[in-house]
Amino acid sequence: MGETTIAALILPLAHIGHWLWVFYVLPVLIVIGGIIRSTRAEKKRERDEEGKKRR
Amino acid sequence: MSVTLPFAHALVAKQDLPIPAWLFAWAASIVLVVSFFALSAAWRKPQFEDERWRPSAAWLSQVLRSWPLQILCGGLGVFLLGVGIYAGIHGTEAPDRNFAITFFFVTAWIGFPFASALFGDVFPIFNPWRAIARVAGGACALLARRRMRHLAYPEKLGRWPAALGLLGFVWLEVVYGSSGGVAVGLEPHAAGVAACVYTGYTLAMMALFGTEVWCSRGEIFSVFFGMFATLAPFGAKDGRIGRRRPLTAAARWVAAVPGSTAVVVASIASTSFDGAEDGAYKSGLEHVGRWFSDAGVGPLATIRITDSIFMAATVLAVAGVYLLGVKGMRSVPGAPPFRELQRGFAHTLIPIALAYLVAHYFSLFVYQEQAQFTYLLSDPLGTSTTNLFGTAEYGIDFSALSPNVIWYVQVAALIAGHVLGLTLAHDRALVYWPDYRRASRSQYWMLAVMVAFTCFGLYLLSVGGA
Repeated sequence: MGETTIAALILPLAHIGHWLWVFYVLPVLIVIGGIIRSTRAEKKRERDEEGKKRR
Repeated sequence: MSVTLPFAHALVAKQDLPIPAWLFAWAASIVLVVSFFALSAAWRKPQFEDERWRPSAAWLSQVLRSWPLQILCGGLGVFLLGVGIYAGIHGTEAPDRNFAITFFFVTAWIGFPFASALFGDVFPIFNPWRAIARVAGGACALLARRRMRHLAYPEKLGRWPAALGLLGFVWLEVVYGSSGGVAVGLEPHAAGVAACVYTGYTLAMMALFGTEVWCSRGEIFSVFFGMFATLAPFGAKDGRIGRRRPLTAAARWVAAVPGSTAVVVASIASTSFDGAEDGAYKSGLEHVGRWFSDAGVGPLATIRITDSIFMAATVLAVAGVYLLGVKGMRSVPGAPPFRELQRGFAHTLIPIALAYLVAHYFSLFVYQEQAQFTYLLSDPLGTSTTNLFGTAEYGIDFSALSPNVIWYVQVAALIAGHVLGLTLAHDRALVYWPDYRRASRSQYWMLAVMVAFTCFGLYLLSVGGA
C-alpha cells in the first residue's frame, strides 16, 4: 500500500525533464510580449500626436 | 596505451551548477535586453561603417605574401590533405584512432574559424586546392604560352554553392556518419573518398571559373573560414596586410555577394543540428524514425532519412526566425525593401555563428587537439605500426577542462556573440534610419531574434549531446 503511494507521488515528476524547454521559451515570450506592447503604445502615441496637430 | 574513446561531440559531462541551467537563459536574456536599451540610449551614430584601415609596414606584407612562404604553406596544406586522404583510405576504421577524421572535422573545420576570427583570413595561404590549382594553372599557361581563359561565373549564383556545400559537409559528418543511433562519427574510409571527390570537384570548378573566383564564391572552406575572418582586426587590401576596426568587414562581405545570408544561416543551423541530434531532438528523431521503420525502411536508412528531415527543418527554422526579425523591421516607417534589409542585416548573425561554434565545439577541440598532436601525429593510420614522434602512447587528458568550466565558456560565448550581433544590428539600423529613435524601434524584432537564438542555444547545450 505504502509502495503504491510513493509510486503515485514520484511518477509524474519523472517526466518533468521533458518540460524543461518551457523555462527556455518563457524569456522569449516575455520579450515578444514587451515588444508588442511597446509597439502598440508607440503607435497609439503617434496617432494621438497626429490628432492633436489636426485639432 | 592511449585512451580509446568513441569519437563523439558529446564530450561534455553533466555540470554541477549552483543554479539551474535554465536560469542562465533568463540571465542571458536580461543581459541582451539591458544591452539593447544601453545601445538605444548611447549609440546614436554608426561606428562600423568605416573600417579605419591602417596598412602595416610594407616589408610585413611582402614577407607574408612572398613566394617562398606561399610555397611552404601551400605545400604543407597539400601534404596534410594527402596524409588525411591516405590515412582515411588505408588506415584503421576506428574514427578516433585515424588521423583523417580528427584532422578534417576538428583541426581544420573548427581550428580555422577560431584562427580566422582572431588573425584574419589565414586559410588561403594553406588552402591545398588553391595551391594545386595555381601550380597547375601556371604550368598550363607556360605550356600553352598564353594565359588560361575561364568562364564568367554566374553572379546570380553568388555563394549559394558554398552554402549548399557547407550543409553537405555537415550532413556527411553528422547524418551519413551516424550509425545505429550512436554518434561514432564518419568512417575514415568514407572521409578519405569524400576528400578525393571534393578535390576533383573543386579543381574542376577552379579550372572552369578561375581559382580566386571559385575560392570567393563556391569553395566551401574558403567561404566558411573567410566569413569568420571578417570579424578579425586584421585583413588584406590591395595587396597590403593591415589593421582595421574589428567586425567592420562583415557587413560588406554579406551585402556584396548573393547567397551570403544562406552561408551564415547554414552555419548556425548545422551547428545547432549537430548539438541537438543527441539531445533536444532525440525523442523527436526516434518518434519520426518509427514511422519509417514501420513502413519497412532499413534501420540505417531510417536514421539517415529522419536526421536529414530534422536537419532541413533546422535550416528552415533558423532562416525563418531571421526573416521574421527582418519582416518586423519592415513595419517601421522609412524601411528599405525586404530584400535589402535581409542582406543588410545578415552579417549580424556571423558573431552568433562563431559563438555557436565555440559553445558546441570548444571542449571537443581542446580534447581532440591533444590527440591530434600526440598519438594521431605519431601513428596517423592508427594501426599501431608507426611511432613517428614517439608520442603514439600518449592519451587525452579529460581532466584538462571541468564540466563547469566548459559550461561557463559556452554561456559566455553565447552571450558575447549575441551582444555583438545586437550591436552590429543597431549600428546598421542607424544607417537605414538616421533618426536613432526609429533605428532603435526597428531593432525590437532583432532583439527578439537574439533572445530566441540565445535561449535555443543554451537549451541545446543544457540537455546534453551538444
